[in-house]
Amino acid sequence: MKRIGMLGVSMVGLAMAVSACGSSDDNANHASPAASGSASASTSASASPAAGGEPVTIKVFQLKVEIADKFEAMVKEFEAANPNIKVEAETVGGGTGYMDALKAKFAAGEGPDIFNNGGAKEMQLWKEHLADLSDQPWVSHLLPGTGDGMKDADGKLYGMPMNMEGYGYLYNKDLFAKAGITELPTTLTGLQAAAQKLKDAGITPFANGFSEWWIIGSHFTNVAFGQQADPAGFIQQLNDGAATIPSNEIFKQFQNLMDTTIKYSNDNPLTTDYNTQVTLFASGKAAMLQQGNWVESMIGDIDPNLNVGILPMPVNDEAGSDRIVAGVPNNWAVNKDSAHVDAAKSFLDWMVSSEAGQRYMTEQFGFIPAFDNIPTDKLSPLSQDIVAFSKAGKAIPMIWTSWPDGANKEFAAALQEYAAGKIKWDEVLNKMQESWNILK
Amino acid sequence: MQVAPYIIGSRSNHHNTDRRCGAIDAFAETNRKKTNDGPAARAQADGQPRASKVRKAKLSKWLVFTAFVGPAVLCFLLIQLIPFAVGIYYSFTSWNGVSSAVDWVGLDNFKRILTNDSKFADSFLFTAKFTVVAVLASNVIGLGLALMINGALKSKNALRTVFFMPNVIGGLLLGFIWQFIFVKGFAAVGSATHIPFFELPWLGDANTAFWAIVIVFAWQQSGYLMIIYVAALQGVDNSLLEASRIDGASRWTTMRKIVLPLIAPAFTICLFLSMSHAFKIYDLNYSLTGGGPFNSTLSVAMNIYSEAFTNNHYGIGSAKALIFFVVVALVTLAQVLVSKRREVET
Repeated sequence: MKRIGMLGVSMVGLAMAVSACGSSDDNANHASPAASGSASASTSASASPAAGGEPVTIKVFQLKVEIADKFEAMVKEFEAANPNIKVEAETVGGGTGYMDALKAKFAAGEGPDIFNNGGAKEMQLWKEHLADLSDQPWVSHLLPGTGDGMKDADGKLYGMPMNMEGYGYLYNKDLFAKAGITELPTTLTGLQAAAQKLKDAGITPFANGFSEWWIIGSHFTNVAFGQQADPAGFIQQLNDGAATIPSNEIFKQFQNLMDTTIKYSNDNPLTTDYNTQVTLFASGKAAMLQQGNWVESMIGDIDPNLNVGILPMPVNDEAGSDRIVAGVPNNWAVNKDSAHVDAAKSFLDWMVSSEAGQRYMTEQFGFIPAFDNIPTDKLSPLSQDIVAFSKAGKAIPMIWTSWPDGANKEFAAALQEYAAGKIKWDEVLNKMQESWNILK
Repeated sequence: MQVAPYIIGSRSNHHNTDRRCGAIDAFAETNRKKTNDGPAARAQADGQPRASKVRKAKLSKWLVFTAFVGPAVLCFLLIQLIPFAVGIYYSFTSWNGVSSAVDWVGLDNFKRILTNDSKFADSFLFTAKFTVVAVLASNVIGLGLALMINGALKSKNALRTVFFMPNVIGGLLLGFIWQFIFVKGFAAVGSATHIPFFELPWLGDANTAFWAIVIVFAWQQSGYLMIIYVAALQGVDNSLLEASRIDGASRWTTMRKIVLPLIAPAFTICLFLSMSHAFKIYDLNYSLTGGGPFNSTLSVAMNIYSEAFTNNHYGIGSAKALIFFVVVALVTLAQVLVSKRREVET
């Protein structure tokens, strides 16, 4: 009897294991009806938001950790104004972590209704999941160039810019004054002179974070690509083999900017990570920082009264070297297979068209809007500087989104090796070209 | 979990004549005996082995077997074998991980990996070098700690817990803690004392970064290996040690000629475990160096991951994983065979 009892218990265990697998399979296969049906009989009524009755739920999956709480607050206001639509927001941060999670969701048949996309190569990769947004009311308000990353060859638009970001060398105005720098550098020679003055005054000129691949591999290297006469054409030529990195004049000059930052660097730049780098700058230990407007809140946490401005990243002394980098780092995209495409589209439109959405964007998230109908006067001084550079045509695009996947990490490795003194500059350029050829 | 069979095995083995099969086999044997003693033996004891009774017994034996093994087999199938088979399929395709188009490309992925991917070769070299050094270090330290604890120390239990503790902390967390120690802690000590050891850019230089990972790996693993060695040492028959002492053997000779040969099965297990952990290293160098500086500490597992998920070459990533699997399987198999041959029969 005892044996049979034991047997019974373990059989129940087995049955539970089997049924658990079975039910999870069910969930994966029929995710959408299960999610919208919710035990009530009205499974068919929930397709459009205007139908009234049962509200539809759209799932937003986004990667901006720093706005997660404020985003929830904005969602509440949206739901109050649109009782037919419920929004479930989920945030997973960090470059690759987000993409992995997104791939897993789609592979499980549970793709979110709205998600983020970096544009260009990433848009191509995800294109078969993206809904066409070309007919949306906000399209006519896009600032020039801000929609390019999400446009395909036919000119159809597959995403709505989340924000604009700009970076260059952020500088501490007080430390510059202390070192007696009266004229802001706009050329390489000017930058070197300013760095020398800072050094003479006993101030560390640059806070370099060479241990982060994205600081050096994407943001820094982007300057050499962006300074080309025709950045997009240059990338096309690299892919065709019509141009090479080692034979390019700008890339040769780019060594001078790299050497300048190394010569006037903080200690151990190769082990300095993002946090340490920003802390060095924010605590007044270094005068310049290669970062953008996204570090403002981090700086504010350490010293809210820090006087910050932005300088261009010059590769030479020519006229066009006085430019910062600015562009659209991320976009909102709608899942074209979603059961609630219209609801998702109306949420996106609300974010940039309604008074509340616009208020959240500039005042709460601190985003620089990519739309001409959103007021920018509430932005921080640094963000307004970036808008000014952008409006004056003194901004080069964020072009790394068009590089082959993974190239930025290889560029970072080559530049780190150079910074460590292991290889010469021509080897750096050869390595870059080699990585491009393998990954393209 | 993996320790348990060994302890049981070594204890019950003592007065057994067959020691060749090693601990795990001995454990399996006991199990097998138990199940064999079951229904069949009882049926015989009843005196009248009727056909229906035998059939019933067979059925219930089968049911018991299914009930116990079934869930494990099912899970193994679902989360190991099926994904493995799917992975083999993808390694012959050019899938990018997102698209619905999966194109068959035959052996192209393997050709590309073997002829045109120096980074993969580099990461293999790093992983191999790391495995040799890390396995040696963690086993020497683990055995050392075990010998120390096996002595009649008063603080034995406390020490055992302390040494085992690093293993309880997850690798990722451990990596971030040590990253702080190397980058901030060492630098602070260095600037205060000017001892050159602490002033090194530990994670910023290819050589020191390698040793940094070895140090953290040994620190994490040796406590775990120590537990296995302690179990083996406690299984060594005291009468043998006593006899050797009476015969006038020195401590070193006793250790070399009696203790070490007797705990050879523990070496088999410990080498196997530390080797496979070292080969598959990902979390430690992810959190310590991120594969840097300049890809010098990029392990094979990281290379595979970034190929599949960062470069969006899922097919090539799967092919690399398959190659990696074959190599690790061959190496660890060879290791187990060689060290098994060294285990002694008593």
